[in-house]
Amino acid sequence: MATIAEPHARRWRASSPTLKFIGRLIREKPLGAIGGVVFLLFLLCGIFADVLAPYGANQISPINRLKPPSLKFPFGTDNLGRDMLSRCLYGAQLSVIIGFCAAGLATLISVALGILTGYLGGKFDLITQRFVDAWQSFPDLIILIVVVSVVGPGMPQIIVTLGLLLGIAGSRIIRSAVVSVRENMYVHAAQSIGASTPRILWHHILPNVLAPIIVLFTTRVGVVILAESGLSFLGLGVPPPAPTWGGMLSGSGRTFMFQGPWLALAPGLCLTIVVYATNMFGDALRDLFDPRLRGSR
Amino acid sequence: MQAYIVRRLLALIPTMFFASLIVFVTVRLIPGDIIDMMLSQNDIAADKFSRDQLVAALGLDKPLWTQYVHWIGNILLAGDFGRSLWQNTPVSELLLARLPVTFQLGAMALIVALLVAIPIGAYSAMRQDTAGDYLGRSFSILMLAVPGFWMGTMVMVFPSIWWGWSPDVKFVAFSQAPLNNLKQMIIPAIILGTSLSAVTMRLTRTMMLEVLRQDYIRTAWAKGLPEKLVVARHALKNALIPVVTLIGLQAPLLIGGAVIMEQIFVIPGMGLLLLDAVTQRDYPIITGVFLIVGVAVMLINLLVDLSYGFLDPKVRYR
Amino acid sequence: MRMGGRRGGQGVALAAGLFSISLWLGGSAALAESDAPKYGGTLEIVTVYPTLAALSWDLADWNWKQNHDTGQVYEQLFAADLSKSVRNGGPHPFYADAWLPSDAIRGELAESWEWKNDPLRIEIKLRQGVMFPEKPGVMAARELVADDVVFSFTRLATSPKKIATYFDHIDKVYAADKHTVVFQFNAYNAEWDYRFGWGYYSGIMPKEVVDAGAGNWKNLNGTGPYLLSEVVQGNSNTYLKNPNYWDKDKVNGADYKLPFVDKITFRTIKDEATYVTALRTGKIDMLESIRWQNVDQLKKSAPALKWSKWLNMSGTFLSLRVDTKPFDDIRVRRALNMAVNKKEIVSAYYNGHAELFAYPQHPDYRGYFEPLEAMPLSVKELFEYNPEQAKKLLREAGYPNGFSFKVQVCSCNPDHMDLLPLIAAYFEQVGVKIEIQPMEYGAFLSAMTTKTNTPGYFMNNGHTNPTTTIRKSFIKGQVWNPSQYDDPEYEKKMNAVYLERDETKRQAMLKEMTREILDKAPYVWLPTPHVFTAWWPWVKNYDGELRAGAVRPGPIYARIWVDQELKKKMGY
Repeated sequence: MATIAEPHARRWRASSPTLKFIGRLIREKPLGAIGGVVFLLFLLCGIFADVLAPYGANQISPINRLKPPSLKFPFGTDNLGRDMLSRCLYGAQLSVIIGFCAAGLATLISVALGILTGYLGGKFDLITQRFVDAWQSFPDLIILIVVVSVVGPGMPQIIVTLGLLLGIAGSRIIRSAVVSVRENMYVHAAQSIGASTPRILWHHILPNVLAPIIVLFTTRVGVVILAESGLSFLGLGVPPPAPTWGGMLSGSGRTFMFQGPWLALAPGLCLTIVVYATNMFGDALRDLFDPRLRGSR
Repeated sequence: MQAYIVRRLLALIPTMFFASLIVFVTVRLIPGDIIDMMLSQNDIAADKFSRDQLVAALGLDKPLWTQYVHWIGNILLAGDFGRSLWQNTPVSELLLARLPVTFQLGAMALIVALLVAIPIGAYSAMRQDTAGDYLGRSFSILMLAVPGFWMGTMVMVFPSIWWGWSPDVKFVAFSQAPLNNLKQMIIPAIILGTSLSAVTMRLTRTMMLEVLRQDYIRTAWAKGLPEKLVVARHALKNALIPVVTLIGLQAPLLIGGAVIMEQIFVIPGMGLLLLDAVTQRDYPIITGVFLIVGVAVMLINLLVDLSYGFLDPKVRYR
Repeated sequence: MRMGGRRGGQGVALAAGLFSISLWLGGSAALAESDAPKYGGTLEIVTVYPTLAALSWDLADWNWKQNHDTGQVYEQLFAADLSKSVRNGGPHPFYADAWLPSDAIRGELAESWEWKNDPLRIEIKLRQGVMFPEKPGVMAARELVADDVVFSFTRLATSPKKIATYFDHIDKVYAADKHTVVFQFNAYNAEWDYRFGWGYYSGIMPKEVVDAGAGNWKNLNGTGPYLLSEVVQGNSNTYLKNPNYWDKDKVNGADYKLPFVDKITFRTIKDEATYVTALRTGKIDMLESIRWQNVDQLKKSAPALKWSKWLNMSGTFLSLRVDTKPFDDIRVRRALNMAVNKKEIVSAYYNGHAELFAYPQHPDYRGYFEPLEAMPLSVKELFEYNPEQAKKLLREAGYPNGFSFKVQVCSCNPDHMDLLPLIAAYFEQVGVKIEIQPMEYGAFLSAMTTKTNTPGYFMNNGHTNPTTTIRKSFIKGQVWNPSQYDDPEYEKKMNAVYLERDETKRQAMLKEMTREILDKAPYVWLPTPHVFTAWWPWVKNYDGELRAGAVRPGPIYARIWVDQELKKKMGY
């Protein structure tokens, strides 16, 4: 009986760190946990938008224009008669794509740059840091404005540009984490027995900077969504009729502010809630991961 | 320490050259160059003869490399950033007029951010995971989560309907009428500052949490010192670090301008200058703005790094 | 002081209303007195181009907007005769962006003019005693003379930015004497006064300003009612009254020296919500361009505002490249026109605030415009929603399953970004799919000027005037011809129009040419929206007039007076 029970018990114990963590999250950081749930909901809405949305994203029907929220159109309709609920769901999809891709790209760049410069140090680090300095001297929005003028408005351009900008800026955070880990005993030990650099990076450095990486990624999603909305306001975001939340809020949301406040409320609330949630979630993660932030109580 | 400063300043030079070269070339690559734009202002098509005349008149017919050397040389030797291709105004004049405006807005926003963030951050650290902590942090993050342009629009439109009041659209320089100037700038500064406060608040909180765990704090408590004294004397000193860090992080904003706020509140700052120049393909202005922003931010960051040495003696310079 | 002003203002406004009613009842004498213009005050204006600042101050730059910013300073030979405005009992509202009806042109700097033959020339006698003010560092005060006109013209004609062939009809220009200018023609051109007279590039600049640097706004100095005192680039232009201005205006039978207002400021505001709010709270006095979406709320929250409504001086259309397949086939172009429910666009998209048919000729062009009812059936059916007929035509042309094509549009225009998907939805019903390619402004414009635009090109284009509206879009090689329309016969007709001296004959020719081009449908013709202008009641002697020349509001602003007492009474 014991032999049958053991693997079972082992499996349960093996998965418990994650569950334990989630338990801690809910207990110690309830707001962050709620943020996490919203974050998950957001992801699901984005992935399953096609299934969830009652109408198309661009289903124009002038006869239904500017209708207030009702059973038929829970979030009302816009000035072309398109269902706002569906548009917001597809907007979630776009935000998931843009947010996760840009944040993912940014994190990749941050990690690569941060680990390499942090671990290798020396001249390579010095030169790269000067490059990062130069890059960070330019305001994000301004670089975006120039880039969009060069290559034209569109989703891939925004993803790549935001990814690059945030990636290079975030590399500093990863780098400082790597620097603090680099001096650890086990790293020295690995080096002294002649372990190769890639092995050290992968097995020793990376796992120990996983925490800031995760936090960086989560908060970056919110930053990207906000940045796209700012670009939309300036006319440089993903162009209509793409139903991005920022585009809807800055465009028809503002134009029809008085004829149909739901045109602004729907995407605006979605945007705010999701960004708020990702921030609270990211903060909670940061608190839980970092023993220094455990506090004195 | 001095060696460090010198090394950093020297490192600045190649970086700026590199950056300026990139900016110069990128701007030239923008499709729809200025010649087409100028010609299209007329209502009869211009034939090739007129186009060539125009190209020569703007000095755009020389090879790219010559143009670059000419431009850099003028800046370094004569402080001449060139002239606007459209209005022939010296770019340095425009930069001189706009920079203080943007700087003022940025500085005011920074002060607002600090005023909001440091109390909240400190309180959050001391009363971690209490209702007060959540309330404070929630407020700060909410300010971040609502897009700036939306806050700006709300603040602009609704008071006008409810009370018949709106911010001024007439910009007066601080030197001319300080009170009116502040009245106009305070609102975008508050909006900008509160959305910046989230970042500062986190930094303050992190620093405070770390400090509060330190042994010497425990000792102070154990000795029975009142909490306020402990906080003020020991912990808050370290709060200057996030302040300084914030300045460094937001330096691009201070210099580069908050384009969105400038647009909504009609403030003639660097952000709008650049936006207009990019739309009109006014190359000298674009490259001039980039250069100034880049250099200024780098200098600010240098000062920030140096000040760490004074604030945190644990920081060592290799 | 403004915080309580709204509620306080309402009470005061009511009192003011009762007061003025009692005045009115009191007798016409009292009314006439309160209508007498007073001098002084300031005007804050957000103009008909609210987001566009001055691009250039030098007239030799050939920039289309220069009259808008310099037209209060630099005067022209001719300008609108504002006594013929609707406000004064005449037939003309003066909304047109670059057209003056031939019966509403007065001599501004020109006092009289006479055509002579052998050689064909026009002798223009200038007004005497018109002075350039003193400008320290630039010039001393002096009288305007014929040489100034010759100088301005020559400078324009030899500018590197000049429009080719623009002045080809003029052999030479010379000063016959101190106050007489002669333009000698080699052939008559029907646009002669538009091209140099009251047109886009007709301002008279003194040589001294050019010597000091014509592109520098600080050097601007002209004979006009205002002097340019300050420019904050991209933000505002401020003009101060010229105390020695020569012109007078008749108001209620009495002559008054112009201008009335001491200071005028143009505010360039990029954000629509901001400038509408500024009008609502009285921070600006006049807002010349308001979209229909803002009107109801403005009327509710600022009921004292006065309004005018006009038809946009710009046609909206989807251009189809007639030099590519499938748009070389007229059936396809006509089919696309019939596939769009244009009436629904007027009623649903513009909420009724649009005209179905107003391009290429504008309804304001009296004598040139023919309404849709007067058009032949083949033109009328292009404006009837008929998807069945559209599908039939497409089948005949060999596209039974439809086709797809790319459409470029400027992401800078939020209206177009919204309207184009609606058009796309209509097209899909007849099997035609479009791929929308949004472009940033510079790139968008460049695609057209370099003739590399995609088969579909969605834009709007100013009407300018009855001849130019046809010439600039439907003649080969023109910049504003995205459809690449090229018909030698049509070009011949255009040239004939220019040579025709009799306006009635020209009108007939243009009417025929308009019918032809409508029929040929190189564009999907789309409705033209209405635009609104609003101003506070203390802005007097003004009824929403927009231009007194080519994009030139200067003479209109010079005649406005501000009732400062009324403004104070209302709480502003």
